[in-house]
Amino acid sequence: MATAIFEQLINGAMMGSIYVLMALGMVLIFGVMQVLNFAHGVLFMIGGYFADLFFFHVTGSYPLSVIFSMLSLALIGIVLERAIFRALRQNLPMQIVASLGLILIIQNGVIQFWGPAALQMRTSSVSSLVKIGQLSFTVQQFVIIAVVAAAVVTLYLFLMRTRLGTAMRATSQHPEAAVVVGINPNRVYSITFAIACALAGAGGALLGPLFLIFPQMGDGPMLKALSAIIIGGMGSVPGAIIGGLGIGIIESLSTLAIPTDYRDTVVFAILILMLLLRPWGLFGVRVRGEC
Amino acid sequence: MRLSYSLIVTVAILAFGALAPVIFKTQPYVLYVLTLALCYAIPVVGVNLLYGYTGLVSLGHMGFAGIGAYTTALLMKSAGMPFLPALLIGAIASGGVGLLVGIPCLRLRSHFFIVVTLAVGMILYTLFNNLDSITGGAEGLPGIPRPQRFSLGSWNMEFRSVSGFYTLTFIVTALVFGLQTLLVRSDFGRSLSSVRQDEALASARGVNVFAHKLTAFALSAAIAGVGGAMKVLFLRAAAPLSFELQESINLIVMLIVGGAGYLIGPLVGAIGFIALPEFLRAAAELRLVFFGFVLLVIARLAPRGICGTVELLFRKLSGKDASVVRHS
Repeated sequence: MATAIFEQLINGAMMGSIYVLMALGMVLIFGVMQVLNFAHGVLFMIGGYFADLFFFHVTGSYPLSVIFSMLSLALIGIVLERAIFRALRQNLPMQIVASLGLILIIQNGVIQFWGPAALQMRTSSVSSLVKIGQLSFTVQQFVIIAVVAAAVVTLYLFLMRTRLGTAMRATSQHPEAAVVVGINPNRVYSITFAIACALAGAGGALLGPLFLIFPQMGDGPMLKALSAIIIGGMGSVPGAIIGGLGIGIIESLSTLAIPTDYRDTVVFAILILMLLLRPWGLFGVRVRGEC
Repeated sequence: MRLSYSLIVTVAILAFGALAPVIFKTQPYVLYVLTLALCYAIPVVGVNLLYGYTGLVSLGHMGFAGIGAYTTALLMKSAGMPFLPALLIGAIASGGVGLLVGIPCLRLRSHFFIVVTLAVGMILYTLFNNLDSITGGAEGLPGIPRPQRFSLGSWNMEFRSVSGFYTLTFIVTALVFGLQTLLVRSDFGRSLSSVRQDEALASARGVNVFAHKLTAFALSAAIAGVGGAMKVLFLRAAAPLSFELQESINLIVMLIVGGAGYLIGPLVGAIGFIALPEFLRAAAELRLVFFGFVLLVIARLAPRGICGTVELLFRKLSGKDASVVRHS
C-alpha cells in the first residue's frame, strides 16, 4: 500500500505540474485581462505537435524543440490577443464564442495537417527508467516536475523583480491607476498572452513524449486547470500553483480508492464544494456582490 | 409597426415549417438536417430563457438535456410508456434536477456560475458514461422506439418515417417557442429582464431575485430535457457523447450567434449552427475550420448575434434612431 501511495504521489505531482503550467497561463490572462480562455487546451495541444515537428524535422534535440515550441506559441499568443481577445475583455459570453471558434479552427486544422491519428514521440528521457525500490519511473516524469518548478521560479522572479512584471501586476490590480502611472495596457496584454501561451506550449511539449500527441490531448488539462484556478482563487498565482498540484495529486490518489472512471468526478465534486463553501478560493480575495 | 412585422415573420416561419415535408419531399437529407436543427433549437430556447432574458450563462445544459433524454428513453423502451407522458416525465425529471442544482449554485455570479454549471454538466456526463446498468454506459441505449401512430377519427399520423418525425419535432418545437413567448411577455418574463439588467434595482423594486432565477433555471432545464428527449428519439439511440461539455458549449454559442434575448434567436442560431457546416460541405474537411472563422467574425463584429445585426440594419434602413443601447 505504501509503495502504491508513493507511486501515485509521483504520478500526481507530474500531472499536477502540467496542470500548474496551464493554470498559471489561464490565471495570468484572467487576472490581467478578465478573459477566460477556453481555447487554452488547444494551445497546449499545438505545443505538443510543434515539439514533435521541431524534434523530428528541425533540431533533433528535445530541449531545443521544447524551447522552439514555446517561442512559436508565444507568437501565436500575441496574434490571438491582438486580433481577438483584446476587443472581448469584459465580455464573457463572447469569449466563449471566440474560444469555440479557435478550438474548431485549431483542432480541425491540426487534423487536416497531421491527420487524426496520434503521434508518438519517444525521446531518450522516456525510454530510460529510474528505479526507486520496486517502482520504476521514466526520467521524463522527473524532467516535467523539474522544468515546471524552474518555470514557476522564473515566473515569480519575473513578476516580482522586473519592471515588466510589476507593470503586469499593476494592470491586474487596478487598470486605470496603471495607465495613470504610464503603463501601456495593450503592451501588458500582449506580453501576458505571450507568456500564458508559451506556458501552455511547454506543457504540451513536456507531456507529449510521455503519452501520445493527439488533437484532444489538451481538453482534460484545460478543464483541470480551470478547476485549479477556481479552487486556488481567481487571479491568484500561488492559488493556481497549489490548486494545480493539489488536483493532480488528489486525482492520482483517488484511483486507489474508487474506479478510475470516476476520477474526473472527484475533481469536479471538489470544485463544486469549493464554489459553494468558499467561492473566492483558497487564496483569492472576496469581492462583495460577486459571490 | 414592429408587432406586425414580427407577426408576418412568425406566420412565414410556421408556414414554411409545416410545409417543409412537402417542399423537401424528394430530399430526405434536408429534412434530416432540419429535424436535427430543431432538436437543438429546443434546448437553446431553454438557454435563451436563462441567458437571453435572465442573464445567466450555463455551460452544463446538455447534462440536463441528458436527464430528460435518458428518462424518456428508458420509460419508452423498458416500461413501454406512450410518447407524451414519457416526454412530460422526462421534462419534469430534468427540471427537478435543475431545481436541485440551482438551489445551491444560483448564489454564485458571472464566471463562478459558469464554472459550477460546467462542473455539474461534466459530472452528469460521467454518470451517463459509467452507470452501465441504467444508461448502458459508453455504448448508450440503442433501439429506442419511435412514438406510436396517432389517430383522430379518420386522420392518421405516423412518426416512423423521416417526414413523420420531422412533423412531430416541428409541433413540439412550435409549442416550446410558444411557451417561450408566453413566458417572456408575462409579468414573470418582465421581472426576469429586470433581474438581468440590474439585480440590485430589481430586488429594490420588490422582485424576489433568487426565486426568479431559480424558476428560470428549472424551467430552462426542463425545456432542455424536452430537446434532449426529442434528439434521442430522433437518433433512436441515447449515447453519452450527445450530452458532453462540447455540446453544452455549442448550445450557448448557437444562442449567441442567433441572437440572445430575441424570441427567434434560438431558431436562427440552431439552424445556422447545424445547417451552415452542412452547406459548407463543398469545403469538405476544412468546413469546420471555416465555421470557426465565422464564429470569430461574429464574436468580433456582431455582438448581438444575427438577429441583433438584422435589427440594427433594419433600423438604419428605415431611418429610425439606431443608437438605442440595449443590454450587451
